[in-house]
Formats: sequence, structure tokens, C-alpha cells
Amino acid sequence: MGVRVKTGHTLLAATLGLGMAFGAQAGKYPDITSLPDLKINVAKAELGKRLFFDRRISGDAGIACSDCHKPENGYAHPDALSPGYPGNGHFRNSPSVVNAAHKKVWMHDGRLGTNLNDVTREMLTEDYIMNMDMRVMQERAKQDPKYVQMFKDAGFGEPSNGSIRKAIPEYLKTLTSENAPIDTGKMSASAKRGQKLFKGKAGCIQCHNGPLATDGKAYNTGVPENFDIFLDPMNHHAFIAFAMFQGIEDYMNLKRDPGYYNITMDAADTGKFVTPSLRELKYSAPYMHNGMIKSLYDVVGFYNRGGGKDSRKDSRLKPLKLGKQDIKDLVAFLESMSGDPLTSGKHVWKDPYPAEYPVIENWTQVKN
Amino acid sequence: MSNVIQTPTLLAAAITTALLAGCAGQATSESTAAPAAEKSMAAAPMAMAGPAPLAPLGEPPIPPDNLQSAAKIELGKILFFDPRLGGDASTGCSTCHEPDQGWAWAEDFSRGYPGTVHWRNSQTIINSAYFPRQFWAGSASSNESQARGAARGGVAGNGEADIMEARLRVIPEYVERFREAFGTEWPIVRDAWRAIASFERTLVQRDTPLDKYLLGDKSALDADQLKGKELFEGKAGCIQCHNGAITSDQDFHNIGIPPNKRWEEDGLAQITFRFEQYAKGQTQEGYRKAKSDWGFYYRSKNAWDKGKFRTAPLRYLKYTAPYMHNGVFYTLEEVVDFYDRGGFDEDGRTTMFTENKSSLIKPLGLTDDEKDALVAFLESMSGEEMLMDKPEMPEYAPLFTLAELEAAQEAK
Repeated sequence: MGVRVKTGHTLLAATLGLGMAFGAQAGKYPDITSLPDLKINVAKAELGKRLFFDRRISGDAGIACSDCHKPENGYAHPDALSPGYPGNGHFRNSPSVVNAAHKKVWMHDGRLGTNLNDVTREMLTEDYIMNMDMRVMQERAKQDPKYVQMFKDAGFGEPSNGSIRKAIPEYLKTLTSENAPIDTGKMSASAKRGQKLFKGKAGCIQCHNGPLATDGKAYNTGVPENFDIFLDPMNHHAFIAFAMFQGIEDYMNLKRDPGYYNITMDAADTGKFVTPSLRELKYSAPYMHNGMIKSLYDVVGFYNRGGGKDSRKDSRLKPLKLGKQDIKDLVAFLESMSGDPLTSGKHVWKDPYPAEYPVIENWTQVKN
Repeated sequence: MSNVIQTPTLLAAAITTALLAGCAGQATSESTAAPAAEKSMAAAPMAMAGPAPLAPLGEPPIPPDNLQSAAKIELGKILFFDPRLGGDASTGCSTCHEPDQGWAWAEDFSRGYPGTVHWRNSQTIINSAYFPRQFWAGSASSNESQARGAARGGVAGNGEADIMEARLRVIPEYVERFREAFGTEWPIVRDAWRAIASFERTLVQRDTPLDKYLLGDKSALDADQLKGKELFEGKAGCIQCHNGAITSDQDFHNIGIPPNKRWEEDGLAQITFRFEQYAKGQTQEGYRKAKSDWGFYYRSKNAWDKGKFRTAPLRYLKYTAPYMHNGVFYTLEEVVDFYDRGGFDEDGRTTMFTENKSSLIKPLGLTDDEKDALVAFLESMSGEEMLMDKPEMPEYAPLFTLAELEAAQEAK
């Protein structure tokens, strides 16, 4: 891969060199406005909520969506790397799924760009994530009378894997930022100063723009590798399986996460990751695609130093020369993009699940 | 199958002739009978030899594309016991084929992947090396493909090839052992199935009392067992299907096994039952109405194959209870009673596909003494119990050092 890397870098640098004079272009980036209201089918969303917190929709019934996307952590996970399916590790940070319904592109490397139905399928079936044979999942749902009723109430008829993949995205629509100061306008003076820096001197708005504070594109910011991907064999084998499946060459010798490269197979895209949304990040530490940065102060510090070290780093990243107060103000602004925690029964399924599947009586007499 | 007819008694010869009409219904592709006749249980008897006689077990066949080697066998042994060859690293081959449970699983249904239960009985690994057909409906044709199928099945290993292969590669001892056995730079999961198959080809038992007797040691069977042998080959007609050295004609028969009642009583079993209808390619209509295991039908999609299963080998069965494809009988006595009643259990239950029930299966009129003798003979097909300690599992280890990773980071 060595030769292609060098070529790619040269091309990237040349391309980016054209549009650098940032200060003059501040106005061209869309503001971080409120998220649009989504039309939500309550019965479907309620069904999706029960599914999201149900461990029985993973292969060995050991892990639910909510085990890596925990409500108390902004529907992300407090570990740098997501835990992954039992018997496996993972190689990326679990992102918040709050506002996921507003996105156009999902996964840190942007490999899913269609819809949440596909994202749900990917999470359920991927062997290091939930490892679910969806035929087993469907039959489990049919064996739970509560689900049978809920699917019916939601207009889905009998439980099916297809409707499970519709119900979960419907629930995800309910996970939308609520009462974030940036939306209510109740921002502190510090946050307002931070907002100015964000749009101006710090240049964050170049990528973090629009209602989600992301342009949905992939960049290389030089985030250091998380060596635990390689030093923990459980993480590494998940990474190997992933890289093998994605068709990345020489995957046994990879010592870094190739990122967006796996979409384009263009060396220039090595180490690029999709701009994350900044909403709800008050709850979702640690940060970056591999969880390498622990706090928002550290994130701002990282950019203040001009990002990390990578020969393919986006050339717009330069030391920002922010002072102590600037950093505080920026953090205050970043926090103003987080709303109320979504941890009440409105968003979290709190009822226990049955310990056993009840038997279908008169089994020989009724249709399957 | 041998063409030599060896009928121990005139009575047996008569039964053989009478029962061959039923055999025609299960004609395999080797048959030259007209297709229409194949479909009919009333087809005329084919001009064919009687069942192969019981014979001592020879050396297991070794496929030319997977020859035995010490390195492969030792690797296969470790892999057989390694739970990492499954979805959540908790289910290896030995999980459902425990050496101290007859290299099978001592419940009616195999235990299944965590969160599930299986729907068929786990079969012993002992002597599986000889079987051209594996699984109850014969869906694998070698130990290699059986191992692969079991590791990947939704209610068995539930493992995907890529994750299992990746796991093998971060276990340095495996990397070494695969290199030695197969000459590859990195372990390839397909070679894991080959190594396991090589190990399984060492799990053979050729010194049972029956083998010794057939090899000339007339004292190897006692009087009771000899009486049982005579019944087996004669009045009870067992040899019609349980024949040859491997005690199985490897064909598919509906012998009248009733559905396992667990499907009426156990929610988890009901889930798997319906899953299997999908997994085995049932039609929507079949999925809705199936209430028992349709067996070989799932593979052939011929109505006359509903409820047929591959003839189970009888060797080593002293240690492999319960019996039948769905484990409905826990003792050999129950099995003999079932056949004696003409394929009905003690409650009078039988297959849901009575139209496919083999005409070989009919009341036998065995006395209690005869049943005891038959059981004694069945037990003579098992030798000493073959036990094995679980080998030590090689451990995961990082492939790279921190220094190597730091150097790579510097070079970014």
C-alpha cells in the first residue's frame, strides 16, 4: 500500500490547497439550526423501544442495542471501544444514536448511506455486533405474546424480521435532542462567545455545520490510533474479520484503522472518518471514532494544537492559538448542543422482559 | 453394498423377500427402477440382493484430498474442543459432542447455541468417519462438511466464517500448527474443518464384542447375545436397514417415530421448530402447517420423503442415549418395544406421515426374553467407553508489539 499512499497524499494536498483562506468564507457554511420535527407513529415507536432494550434480538440473547448505546451515556458507550458481541471485541467507539434518524450517512467510516432500516440490519446481523440470525429473531418475537400484540397494534400483522427493522428506526426518531440550549436560545454568555469562536477563529464550522453540526463528509484529522485495537486480540480479530470482509488488502498487517479508505479504496482517504454530530456529546464521552480523546477540553485542546500527526491530515488543521478562556468558551458552546438526558420511561423501556418464552398452547392444533 | 446374500436362517430369508417391497419405496439414485415405481410404496420388489451382512469394521476411508497427518490430527483434536469456533466463543464441537456423553449430548434435543435449543438429537462422533452421509437428513457428505455446517448453523455454532478464521489468526499456537499441517501463512477456516475431520477419523472403535466375534472369536458373544443376533438378522428384521460393517444402509426411512412432545410443551423448542422450517427451505404453506420434523423431505422436496431419516448406525449406542432423530427413547428397551409394536410408542403414537411409513415396520411378536436378547446383542456393538480429556486451549496473543504499533504511528 506504500506507493499508493504517497501518491494519494500529494493529490489530496493539491486539492485542498485551493480553498484555504477560511476567514473570508465563514458565511458559506449552514448554521447549526434546530432539527426538523419528525412524524412519528407512536405504536411503531413503542414497539421499537421494546426491541431496542431487548437482549433476545442478539444471537445468544446476551446483548441488546442499548448495551452499546446506553441511555445514561447519551446512547453511546463510556468505553473507548464498543464492547461488541460476547466472545468478540470491537475496534471503534460506539457513537450516540440520538438524532441518528436525522442523518444521511452512518458509521464512522460512512459505509452505510441508505437508511436506518439497513443500519439496523447491519447491527443485528454483523457477527461481532449482535450476530443474529434474523429467522431466529423473528421466531423469538412470535413466541412472546406481548410482541404479538404490539406488532398487531402497530399495523405490522404478525412479527417479522422486516417489521423489526422498521420498528427500531421508528423508535430512533424519538431519540431527538430535547431542549438543547442552542435550540431554545438559552445559552450562557460563555457559550455565546464559544459560538463565535466556533464559527470564526477556531474554524469548527467548516465541517461541523447544519442542524446536526456535521457535513456528513470524511476527513483526516490525525486522531492517534487506539493501540488497544491491536493489543487486545479480541478487538483485533473483530477488526481482521471486518477488514477481510471489506476487501482491504494486506489486512493481516494493518496497524491502523483505514477509515474511509474502505469505501473508496483510494489511499488518499486512509485515516478519514465522517465528521461526527456534536449534539448530545455532553453525555457521550469518550470522543472520536476510536474513543482516544476523553473529554471535551481535550478535544478542543487537540484541535488547538492543529490536530494530530498524519501525513494525510487535512491541511486546514493548523494550531488555533486559543487561550484558556477561549477553550472554556468553546467547551461551553459544545455543551450547549446537548439537551435533556433521554433517560426517562418516555425513551427507555423499563418493564422487565419475560424470563422464559411461554409455550403456545394447543400447538398441534394452531397454525404456525 | 455387497451383493452376497448371507441369510442366517430360512426364516430371515423369507422376511427379507417379503420386506423388500418396502425397500423399493426408498430406492436411491442407484436404482434403475422406473421413476413412477420409485414413488409408490406398492412397487414391485426389485431384483436386488438382500442386505449386506454384518461385518467387522475395517479401516476408516481417508479422502485423498485430506490425508491424515500427525500434525493435522493433533490440531484437529484441539480445535474440536475449542469453543471459539462458534459465534460467541462458547460453543465448540465438543459442546454438543461431549466425550463423556458418548461424544453426543444426553438429552433428547442437542443443547443448541446459547439462547436456543436444537431440534434434533446430537449424534456420536465415534465411527462417523465411515459414514458417507452425515446429519439426520444426510445433508453433509463428509466429516469436513459436517463440521462446517454445525459450526455455522443458527441453533448450533452460529459462527460466521470470517470471525472464526480471524480468531484462529490471533492465536499464535494455531498459526504455527496450521502452518505445519497445511503450509499456509495464516490459518484458513476451511482447514479447521479438515483438521477436525482428520481427528474424527481417529475416533473409531473396531474391537467391540461383535467385531471380535465376526473375526472368529466365537466366545466374544454370550448365548443371550447370539440369540439376539439371530433375531436381529431374522425375526426382528433389523438387518434390513442396519446392515454392513457400519450397521446402516445410509438410506432414508420413515420408521414411525412420533413427534417429540417437547414441541407442545417448551416455548424455546417451538421457536427453533419454526426457525428450522425457514432454514430448511419450507414453503410458506409448509411453514404454517408443519408440526413434526419432515426429515429428508427438506432436501428432496418429495412428498414421499416426509418423515424419513437416515438409518442410524448402531455402534457405540451403549453410550449415546437417548435415541432416534428427536431423542424420544431413552433406553434400548424402549427402542425394541417401539419396533415390536410396529413403530408405535407406548401411547400408540407414530409418525404424522403414516403414508410414508416403511412397510418393513410391523409388529414383531417378540417375547420378553427375545427383547432382552436383542438388547444384549445391540450392546455387543459397543466396546469400552472412549473417554478423552479436553486438551489445553492455546491462548490469544497480540500479533504486534507496542513498539511496532508506535513505529507505524510515527510513519503515518
